[in-house]
Amino acid sequence: MDAVTYPEPAVIDFMNRSLIAVRVAYNAKPYADDFNVKWTPTLVSLDSGGKEHHRTVGFLQAEELIASLSLGMAKVHFDQDQFDSALAHLEKLLQAYPKSSSAPEAMFLRGVSLYKSTHDPKPLKQAYERLEAEYPGDEWTKRAYPYRLL
Amino acid sequence: MESKVNWETSMDTALSRARAEGKSILLDFFNPG
Repeated sequence: MDAVTYPEPAVIDFMNRSLIAVRVAYNAKPYADDFNVKWTPTLVSLDSGGKEHHRTVGFLQAEELIASLSLGMAKVHFDQDQFDSALAHLEKLLQAYPKSSSAPEAMFLRGVSLYKSTHDPKPLKQAYERLEAEYPGDEWTKRAYPYRLL
Repeated sequence: MESKVNWETSMDTALSRARAEGKSILLDFFNPG
């Protein structure tokens, strides 16, 4: 990550603008135990109270990293019922990085966020239909499968 | 544009900045070698 991904201008700009970045050694006490870290790199998205909302393990290229961090920020807001803020991150991710491995989960979470903010089930069905069309066979398409019946 | 990621090395500082700036945190567990 230090040699390839973090020096990328797009990554530097995104990280310095969008979040607070902190790094600790994989064996630093008490954090390695608190977060049950077993491999590097482990990247954990936290809210401002230090609670975990998302993590990835292993190397990510620049676009995959930005997409994953965007998903992490969306999940921070989603988990706190801040659906408008979650949707803003998800829409940006889906627009900028539709081919990223984070995109299917973002599309799933977009449908759920719209449903939870409106109580209208249509976004759930639309999420499944878009997932089936754009990411057939993906894990998140399978998870949305029941929504086809709504 | 800045030339590198502005890493914090203290969790306490990161948490304080996150609260003050209304941002979330990326915690990177890395291998310093």
